[in-house]
Amino acid sequence: MGERISKTGPIWAFVALIVLGLGLLAVGCGDGETTTTAAPDTTTTAAPDTTTTTAAAPEKEVTKIGVVVPEEGSDYGWNQEGVESAQALADELGVGIEVADGAGYEDPGPVLRQLVDNGADFLFAHASGYATQAMQVAEETKVPVVVIGAFEGGLVPGLSQDLETHAEEGSYLAGYLAAKMTKTKTLGIVISADDENWTKMAGGFVAGARSAMPDAKVIMAQIGQAGYADAAGGKRVTEAVIAGGADVVYGMGDGSSFGMIQAAETAKPPAGADKVWFIDVIGDKTSLDKKGVYLTSVWWDYLPLFKQAVQAYKDGTFGTEVFYMSVANDSIKLIKTDHIPDEVWAELEKIKADIISGAVEVPVLTDKAAVEALIKQ
Amino acid sequence: MSDMLTAAFLSALISGGILAGMPLLFASLGETISERGGVLNIGLEGMMLMGGYTGFVVTLYSQSHWLGLLAGAGAGLITALLMVVFCVRLGLDQIVVGIAILIAAGGFTSVLQRAQFGTTYPRLDAMSAVEIPLFAKIPVIGPSLFAQPAIVYVGFALVAVLHWVLRSTNMGLNLRAAGEKPEALDAAGVSVTAVRSIAALSAGAFAGLGGAYMSIVGAGIFVPFMTHGAGFIGIVIAMLGRGRALWVVIGSLLFGMSVSLTTALQLVGITVPIDVVNMLPFVAVLVVLVIFARQAYLPAALGLPYKRGIR
Repeated sequence: MGERISKTGPIWAFVALIVLGLGLLAVGCGDGETTTTAAPDTTTTAAPDTTTTTAAAPEKEVTKIGVVVPEEGSDYGWNQEGVESAQALADELGVGIEVADGAGYEDPGPVLRQLVDNGADFLFAHASGYATQAMQVAEETKVPVVVIGAFEGGLVPGLSQDLETHAEEGSYLAGYLAAKMTKTKTLGIVISADDENWTKMAGGFVAGARSAMPDAKVIMAQIGQAGYADAAGGKRVTEAVIAGGADVVYGMGDGSSFGMIQAAETAKPPAGADKVWFIDVIGDKTSLDKKGVYLTSVWWDYLPLFKQAVQAYKDGTFGTEVFYMSVANDSIKLIKTDHIPDEVWAELEKIKADIISGAVEVPVLTDKAAVEALIKQ
Repeated sequence: MSDMLTAAFLSALISGGILAGMPLLFASLGETISERGGVLNIGLEGMMLMGGYTGFVVTLYSQSHWLGLLAGAGAGLITALLMVVFCVRLGLDQIVVGIAILIAAGGFTSVLQRAQFGTTYPRLDAMSAVEIPLFAKIPVIGPSLFAQPAIVYVGFALVAVLHWVLRSTNMGLNLRAAGEKPEALDAAGVSVTAVRSIAALSAGAFAGLGGAYMSIVGAGIFVPFMTHGAGFIGIVIAMLGRGRALWVVIGSLLFGMSVSLTTALQLVGITVPIDVVNMLPFVAVLVVLVIFARQAYLPAALGLPYKRGIR
């Protein structure tokens, strides 16, 4: 019993492989849905609605829309926004629609081909990881597809149209709102992963907060390398951020967002505050807010850009220039909840107009180190 | 930096370490029992997911956290029946069956969650904390260590119980014999199959409890695949623990505290690349593995099926 054995080598090698695998998984994995290619750090004024008219072409018709999203189209986030925007577009155009949700993050090619076989003549491949395969399907079938996260690489005239976001503009508004609502002068940012979208939005948030409260303290923490679904991690990290003094938390996380909200609902507010506010991204979870902590969400409404893509297809300009979601085209906006005072909302409307006019410049930070440097300023 | 290091902040970090460590503790205790009995349970994470989902559902509808935790343990135990049937009874490859359980449970709970809560995402109220008189008033460690939900204290009590059972009871002796020399146990008239079945079922129950803790106490919600590799970490901790419950506690809390430390380093503004910070828990486990691997005791018959007369 308990003798030292000499055959532990293979088992320990197996254990080491598990640990190494988990480590590599943590370091290497990203959520295909939200990974985007790098873009330079720049400063934008109003993001232009970039439709260009290059050549006149006979108008093309759309009779059935096909949309594929990686997860269930009822997640109060990325997938739901994609599905609902496509549905609204189909309703507006009076055409049919077929939704393939829960398609996963791997190869969407077979699903897209099936949609084409079923009669879809306009496709939305609603995940950045889908771009390469979706463009292949478009080449094969000659059915136009809208992709995300490929920037200029996602443009093929007449076949593939890329969509991107200037979500930092909405985050700037959220930061301003947070600074107006905080009582501790400390704001928290929780992100689920080192994700370029999250980074850009964190940068916009800090800039917006400092515009309203130059001495606002901002603290930021990341759950993990790919903690998108880590709800327990979301709660744990958010509780630490709240204990660090933040009474307004800006959370970017997908499934982990529910843990963040839970923390905002249940954690003891920091000294000087009587409650903790939560600011969400992408979707609208106001209907799930049972305890009145959901201050707002930086809502990504794809409908304006989806409409723009269809119009470009009809005009013959499809796939000639990247389209950006922005406050200017009303695809990035704050949700107005009852918790936002009217006078603050009026100020937000004015700032929004200033962003559109270019009077307010929102930094576009795609590097997390740049955001951390901004926080330390 | 220094203004961040308040008592509340430090206390929250220690609490966070416990929050992250407890699911690992339950899971690795279960794996310890299983490995002692000679059954390598790779499907631990799947059993955690089953326990997490079931525990959440039962808590939601019964409004009883304890009933939910119990149901989570039950769900893990039922899932472990697959290990008993395929591995202990039929002698199939334990790693293959474990992986199958992991994949199946992940998909199964994901489908159920989306079908049942995919549009509502209900959340649970926090499980109330139980303060240990006097100790809870100690600055920093009082609120973090001695004002926890009662299940945390139960978890530490289970460690003591398991330590006693493994070292001082016939049941523990039989368990160790089943993992070391099952033929000797068989010759002594004790059913190896029965002992290993109990070990596998216990592992499932503990893993299910760990998953239920994660969804009920840790997050207050169940989301698909929320265990995020905790089952595999639990397996590693069990192996590091060398079959000793006390080492399992140390390993689990070490990992949990390392995870919490990654948050602390970020919040206090330590300028270390985030990739390095997030590797800390894994590095900690690897370092411990390197230090202790050469002294490892693993049951001689671990992972090997037992059939009378064949070996």
